[in-house]
Amino acid sequence: MKVPVRWLSEFIELEEEAEKVAEILTFGGLEVEEVYDHYQTLGEIIAVKVLEVNKPSELKDLAVCTVHDGKDSFTVLTAAVDLVKPGQVLALARPGSKTFFWDKIEVKEVKGYKSWGMFLSPYEAGVSEEKDILLELPHDVKPGENIYKALNISETILDVSITPNRRDCLSILGLARELSLLTGSPLKEVKFGENLKEGSQPKGSIEILDPDGCFRYVGRWFSGVKVAPSPFFIIQRLVFCGLRPINNLVDITNYVLLELGQPLHAFDWKRVAGGRIIVRQAKEGERLLFLDGVERGLSSEDLVIADAEKALVLAGIMGGEESGVSDNTQEVFLESAWFNAKRVRLSGMRHRLTTESSYRFERKVDPEGVYLAMLRATELIFRYANPEEVSIIVDEYPVRFTPPRIELKKKRLSAYLGFEIPEEKVKGILNKLGDLEVTPESFILVPKSYRQDLSIPEDLIEEVARVYGYDKVPTTYPEGVLYCEPPLKTLELTQKIRRLLAGFGFFEAITYSFIDPKLIEHLNFSPDDPRRDPIKLENPISAEMSVLRTTLVPGLLQTAFFNQAREVESLKLFEVGKVFFKAEELASERLNLGLLLAGWKSLPSWYEEERFFDLYDIKGVVSALGEALRVDFLFKPYSEEPFLKRGFSFDLYLGEEKVGYLGRLKSLIAKDLDLREPVFVAEIYLDELLSFIQGERALSVKKPPKFPSTFRDVSLVVKKGIPLETLLAYLKAKEIPYLEDIKLIAAYEGKPLDPDERSLTLRLWFRAEDRTLRVEEVDPIISRLVEELIEKFQIRLR
Amino acid sequence: MTKEDVAKLRAEIENSLAHAKSIEDLNSIKVKYLGKKGFLTNILKSLKELPLEERRELGSLLNQIKDELEKALKVKEREILLAEEDGITDLDLSLPGREPELGALHPLTIVISEICSLFERLGFEIAEGPEVESDFYNFTALNIPEWHPARDMQATFYLENGALLRTHTSPIQVRTMLRKKPPLRIIAPGKVYRCDADVRHSPMFHQIEGLMVDEKVRFSDLKGILTYFAQNIFGEDTKIRFRPSYFPFTEPSVEMDISCVICKGEGCRVCSQTGWLEILGAGMVHPEVFRAVGYDPSRWQGFAFGLGVERIAMIKYGIDDIRLFFDNHLYFLSSFK
Ligand SMILES: [Zn+2]
Repeated sequence: MKVPVRWLSEFIELEEEAEKVAEILTFGGLEVEEVYDHYQTLGEIIAVKVLEVNKPSELKDLAVCTVHDGKDSFTVLTAAVDLVKPGQVLALARPGSKTFFWDKIEVKEVKGYKSWGMFLSPYEAGVSEEKDILLELPHDVKPGENIYKALNISETILDVSITPNRRDCLSILGLARELSLLTGSPLKEVKFGENLKEGSQPKGSIEILDPDGCFRYVGRWFSGVKVAPSPFFIIQRLVFCGLRPINNLVDITNYVLLELGQPLHAFDWKRVAGGRIIVRQAKEGERLLFLDGVERGLSSEDLVIADAEKALVLAGIMGGEESGVSDNTQEVFLESAWFNAKRVRLSGMRHRLTTESSYRFERKVDPEGVYLAMLRATELIFRYANPEEVSIIVDEYPVRFTPPRIELKKKRLSAYLGFEIPEEKVKGILNKLGDLEVTPESFILVPKSYRQDLSIPEDLIEEVARVYGYDKVPTTYPEGVLYCEPPLKTLELTQKIRRLLAGFGFFEAITYSFIDPKLIEHLNFSPDDPRRDPIKLENPISAEMSVLRTTLVPGLLQTAFFNQAREVESLKLFEVGKVFFKAEELASERLNLGLLLAGWKSLPSWYEEERFFDLYDIKGVVSALGEALRVDFLFKPYSEEPFLKRGFSFDLYLGEEKVGYLGRLKSLIAKDLDLREPVFVAEIYLDELLSFIQGERALSVKKPPKFPSTFRDVSLVVKKGIPLETLLAYLKAKEIPYLEDIKLIAAYEGKPLDPDERSLTLRLWFRAEDRTLRVEEVDPIISRLVEELIEKFQIRLR
Repeated sequence: MTKEDVAKLRAEIENSLAHAKSIEDLNSIKVKYLGKKGFLTNILKSLKELPLEERRELGSLLNQIKDELEKALKVKEREILLAEEDGITDLDLSLPGREPELGALHPLTIVISEICSLFERLGFEIAEGPEVESDFYNFTALNIPEWHPARDMQATFYLENGALLRTHTSPIQVRTMLRKKPPLRIIAPGKVYRCDADVRHSPMFHQIEGLMVDEKVRFSDLKGILTYFAQNIFGEDTKIRFRPSYFPFTEPSVEMDISCVICKGEGCRVCSQTGWLEILGAGMVHPEVFRAVGYDPSRWQGFAFGLGVERIAMIKYGIDDIRLFFDNHLYFLSSFK
């Protein structure tokens, strides 16, 4: 909220500088975001000296003035042909600046003549109400000088951020009260509408048919008003606060709203059918043309102000176009009401409408302020709209406001805060908040009607603490019961995985949980795959972030694209994060691990040849991960995932359960996504994985062997159709004596082998537990084995 | 051969040993004196021809010389070999080493684990909760009913089924309290979502929520714990200050500032010349929240705080654009090796 300091000082003596006031408010809990001079926000509005005035014949109503700003000369066009004269010092709004009424100034051109800005009238400059002259400055003002500085005009504004609980501070008066509470400085005595002559009889009736929606409705009739522009100080203050001036009546309602926080509404009484003001639920389907020019359908949940025939106003939110005050209005009915905050809020949400009025109503207005506002408005209307006749005030108040009685135990106060505040201080603070009664054990407060945010003892604790000063709160350490819980299993797992992968040279990525549905389409999931059917956001920021991810792959691919477009040729990424599936309630959230390898495994270096990533790189990472997590991953060749090249992929299993997949992204998909190949991805379902780790099999600790091992290498030439896995499985099943381990140490294809052959060199390790094996023991085993292999798999030796 | 000759011989051997610079020199000494046709070998052979008395005396002297020489050769050889190892070759030591590849955790992960382990050391346990939440856990149970204007403070993403993406980690408080009886201490990190995006806001970001509930937890304890937190994360000389604020689920509510880590409170661009940086929101748990989870507010007191991880990481690492965290550019990520 924008608060002109001068206006504020009409309600409270301000001895401090604006900056100090801002600090007091901020440390009281209302953050002042900025302190500024309103006029200096308008931009470059400077004094220029008129050097020359020309009236070219091709420009009918315009004069071309050559002006000087102290540095340069340039031209300005003006329609005030008769007003400009050489030698004048005028106020010029430069391109990029704006007038007092928010009109942006740009460079203009008419028939080849350029206008580098606009001369302002005193009105456009926000200096006085004079519209028909140009703002002329004294001759001693130097060209180029800011006119407001030259004229010594400024208006200091505090931009205060009002927290939702402090609706009472949404006004000048409210902030004055808050400052008085914080500084102890007394409020100025301001009385409104004291000297008004007693009014005439009401011109119509006020009926509240929905007392749940409207607790109090105060109305008054004014006859023979003159609708005209407002006095200039009202116009200025509205502008300072960001409101557009319209005419004296509308402006006065807005002025009172800003000053006292109570929204008012003015009706053109001629437009109120039957002389009746009826506060009621809207009829289902009832329509109303609003002030903003939009016609909206109403429902019975909406509260309206109606006449005998139709709805006129959506209560507390926005008026209808028809019943509002126009230039021809002579008879006015003025409303000051207290509507149910919740109803206003819900109604505003339904219609997506927020106005200065609804903003205050939905935060609860001051029940007593309703009447005060009527008095203030009456006074202003009297002064600035010359009514011939004013009625008495009609005050319909079916539901009386009863403030709560809050008891705060003295013991509770210190036990809650952790320190003692002298009782005199506490009393001093609470006294300002309402009627205080002090007993030996308690403070009992009935808060003022405008402090409806106070309802429980803890509210009073907060008030006392913040006014006393949070800086005086000591630093203590809590006393608590000791207890200890085992750490979360998922967290242990993800931490371990993260550290392992960082150790493997991977970088952790964190990508958005919402993705572009097109990316999911690119992955070609089958129609029954739940990953194809992501949860949609109702109100996404953009189409590219409009569905919740069902797999981590799209985010990683996008990250790869982002990096590749920025000179990164080798990528090893992982992400640990949730994926989301539709569920009956909320969503089914699954924790996944995604891996991505793209581009070069190794870039040229003096000790290593460059090469691309290949399938065995990603397979190796996954199996090392499995080893570290002590699970036996099964790599089932030829993954079912439709976006992987079948021949370069695996589905990952633990026992019977699929726990992920890995492989190379299809080239066509990489091409569609502008990715440089090769791209390998893996995704592991950590929730499933976790269930296998939970029953963590005991570590089998190996003792260092007592006797040496021996190994034999066998080079086998195998037909290409036979996977290594098959040979190893065969060997392992044979229970070969003393065999400790088998490793593939070389794989080769190419000449001199046949095209359908390859050579595999296996190293077999043997060890006996009780002695050193002798050559005569091992060699026969090997030769027998080789014979069997030859027979079984049509293998030959190399 | 006389005794004088022997003494001469000894001196001669010592001299040539002293001048030996290489293994070759040693070898030639060895050959000269101890070889098959070496000087000492020959003399020793020729001793046979001498009378017994002389032979014994000279023999023992010569054998002594031979033993000494053999020993000295060994010692010298080792000396030379060791010295040779310290020799400088033309190997270019400035070539880069063969580095194992280093990866890195994401900076947000680093900050989250740093903060969480700090609170774990204080006896807080880590808690988690779903990212897709219901209105009840995200708002209502936190004393923010449907019509509450405080909902405007958090622009919410809604899903097609009416659920929402949690706007803060506070629902974890509620879920934990509904599951467990007091006393409790939790620290709950996680992703949160709000629908706004610019240089300072990301539609997804991370928060850490802390909650302590016990019978005697006081407002001043909150200040103590948060001071401890700030000084551990930002340095021992960090000062903190509390400003009153408003959150529907705490009462009293505070915003906490720390003295600017860049300028140490002098005033700089990062802290907009104030010397202070806003770092987190906190407060005493509102009695309505206790009621919503079935805790007796007249018996239990507690504090809660919530901090933005990105904000802390930005301050800690001097990062000025929040989007860098989610672009995941390798150059950026590799700063955190
Ligand atoms: Zn600073």
